[in-house]
Amino acid sequence: MSHQELKPVDTKQIQGMLSRKKGKMKRFLSYCAHCSLCAESCFLYMEHHKDPQYMPSYKAINSLGKLYRKNGKVDRKLLTEMKGIVWRNCVLCGRCYCPIGIHIPSMIAFARSILRSQDVYPQLDEVSSESWL
Amino acid sequence: MKSGSRLERVLAAGHFAFTGELGPPQGANVEAIKKKANYLKGITDAVNITDNQTAVVRMASWAAGLIAIQEGLEPNYQMVCRDRNRIAMQSDILGAYAHGIRNMLCLSGDHQQFGNHPLTKGVFDIDSIQLINMVKGMRDNKKFLNGDDIDGAPQLFIGAAANPFAEPFEFRVHRLAKKVAAGADFIQTQCIYDMKRFREWMKQADDMGLTEKVNILAGVTPLKSGGMARYMAKNVSGIIIPDEIIDRIVNAKKASEEGIKLCVEQIEELKEMKGVRGVHLMAIEWEHRVPEIAERAKLIPRPQV
Amino acid sequence: MIVGERKPFDEIKEMIKSFKKVLNVGCGGCTSICMAGGQREVGLLNEELQNAFKQEGASSRVDGFTIERQCNADFFSELDEIVKEYDGLLSMACGAGVQFLADRYPQKPVFPALNTVFVGVDRDIGWFEENCRTCRECVLGETGGICPVTRCAKSLFNGPCGGTSREGKCEVSKDTPCAWFEIHKRLKEQNRLENILRLKPAREWRNQTQGTLVQEAYKKRYAK
Repeated sequence: MSHQELKPVDTKQIQGMLSRKKGKMKRFLSYCAHCSLCAESCFLYMEHHKDPQYMPSYKAINSLGKLYRKNGKVDRKLLTEMKGIVWRNCVLCGRCYCPIGIHIPSMIAFARSILRSQDVYPQLDEVSSESWL
Repeated sequence: MKSGSRLERVLAAGHFAFTGELGPPQGANVEAIKKKANYLKGITDAVNITDNQTAVVRMASWAAGLIAIQEGLEPNYQMVCRDRNRIAMQSDILGAYAHGIRNMLCLSGDHQQFGNHPLTKGVFDIDSIQLINMVKGMRDNKKFLNGDDIDGAPQLFIGAAANPFAEPFEFRVHRLAKKVAAGADFIQTQCIYDMKRFREWMKQADDMGLTEKVNILAGVTPLKSGGMARYMAKNVSGIIIPDEIIDRIVNAKKASEEGIKLCVEQIEELKEMKGVRGVHLMAIEWEHRVPEIAERAKLIPRPQV
Repeated sequence: MIVGERKPFDEIKEMIKSFKKVLNVGCGGCTSICMAGGQREVGLLNEELQNAFKQEGASSRVDGFTIERQCNADFFSELDEIVKEYDGLLSMACGAGVQFLADRYPQKPVFPALNTVFVGVDRDIGWFEENCRTCRECVLGETGGICPVTRCAKSLFNGPCGGTSREGKCEVSKDTPCAWFEIHKRLKEQNRLENILRLKPAREWRNQTQGTLVQEAYKKRYAK
C-alpha cells in the first residue's frame, strides 16, 4: 500500500460523487434481472473458467452497488478489495452485453473514479502482477 | 548492349574492368571535381560518383557526374535509398540518363545518423534491391514502378554493391543472388582485406552460377596509414581487416608506401581469381595516387573498345 | 501498448503559465501502464508545477483528475462538469487522447504533457521497446516475427545491408541488434529461410494518410 492510501477515507466526498449520478446508476443497479447474459460476453469470465467473480454484473454490484448500499461509508480495506474487482477483474473493454440496456462499463468506470478520489488505484511499478492491484 | 556504356563494353569484350571513385565536394566547387577527374581520366573505365556518402551533404551525384562527363570520364551514378522516394528516384534517373549518364549503382545508403544532419527523416521508401528492380523495369519493360509507360526509357547499365564481410556471412551470397535476380548487371564489393573470406564467398557465388550471370568487380582501398587501418578495423561495421595486414602497415617504415604495395598485390591476386571481372578502386581522398596504383598493377593502358 | 514519456518540465510550464486555472487530465490506459501519465504522474507533475508557480509568484493553479481512458468517449462524462471551472487543460494521454480531449472541449485550450514515443512492449518494469510502426501491411509472417520496418534502421525488406557487425549488431549502434541478423537466425532455426530468399517487391505505404477503420460487422451501422 502506498503512503497516499493512508489518509482517512473522505466519506463526504464519496457521498457527493454518488449523489451526482444517483439517478442513472441506481436505475442501472435496480434493473439487473440477473439473466447472466453479460457474463457470456465477458472474455475474462470465459477465460477464468466462468468464475462468477468475473461476471460483469457481479463486478458492478460488488463495487458501485456496494458503495451505494453503504452510502459511501466504507473503509480502506473495502476500497482495496474493490480495487481488485474493478481493475484486475475488469479491463473496461466495454464489450459486455446487456439485453435491457444497462451500461456496465460506465458503472465500473464510475467505481474506479470514486476509488481514485480516495487515492486508490493500481501501482504499476510494484514488483509482481498481483501486487499492483 | 543494354546501355552501351564503356564499362559495359569493356566487360562484354572480356577485359578486366577497372573503376574508380570520385566524391563530390561539400559545395559547388567545380574545380575540385575537375582536379580529381584529371587524375582518373584515361586510367579508369568508369568512375563512381558517390551520393552524399556517409550522409554528409555534397553536390548531387548526377550533377557531379555531368561535370565528370565534360572532363572526359564515364560516371557510374550512385543513388541511395535514404534521401528519395520512388517519385524522386525515377525522375532523377530520367534526368541523369537524358544528360548522358549510362551506368548506375543502386545502394541502401549509409544511415543518416552518421552524417551531418543526423536527425533528418530517412526516406527508405524502397530498398536497394527494389531499386535495382525498378531501374530494370524502367529499362527493359519501359514502365515506371506503377506500371505506367515511359516515354523514352533510360538504357542504363545497372550496378549493385555486395559486402561479403558483414554478418550473417552465410546469407551474403543469397543477398547477391537476390540482387542478380532483381536485375543487377554488375557488382562492386566492399573493400577486401580478408582475402580468405572473399575467396570463400566467390566460390559460393560461383557454385550458385552467379559469376556467369553478373560481372563482379572486387573492391579495394589502399590503406594510407596504420591509424587508418586500426580505425577501419575497429569502427567500420562490415569491414574485416586481418591482424597481419594491420601489423604489416603499422610496422612498415613508410606506411603509405606499404599500403600501396599491398593494394597492388591484392589487385594482382584478384585478377587471377575465378569469377572476378574487374576491380573497383576506392582511393578515398587519394585520387592522385590512382595512376601509380594502376600502373604498378598493370591495369593501364586501358583497352580500346 | 502506446508508450509515452513526459515532456521536459520547463516546456510544460511554458505552455500553461498564462492560464489561471489548469486541469491536468490523467489517463488510466496505456500511459498509466508505462508510468508516464496515470493518476500518480498527474500528482507528481502538479506538485512540481505548483511549487514552481509559487516560487515565481505566479497565481496559476493546477488541479488533477484522471479518467479511465482518453481515447474513448464513454469515459469523459465525469469530466464534462469539472472542466467548466478551468481555462486550460493539460493532458497526460498519448497524442490520440490529447486530440480526443481537445475535440470534446473545443472551446478549451489543450496542451500535451507527454511525447508519444511508440507502440511497444514491456521489457521489464519501466523498460519499454518499440516493436510496431503501424505500417498497415504486416510482414511478420515472412520475417520470423521480427519487424524489419520497425527494427531495421533502414526499414529494408530484402535482407541486411552491409553494415551488420561481427556481433550481429546494427551499424547505427553497438547496442542495437541488426533486425535482419535476427530474422536470418530465427528463420534458419525454424528451417524457413526460403521466406527471405525470394525477392520482396516494393511495397505500398498505406499509412501516409489518416486512417479510419470500421470493422466488417459494423459497416452497415455506419453506412452514410
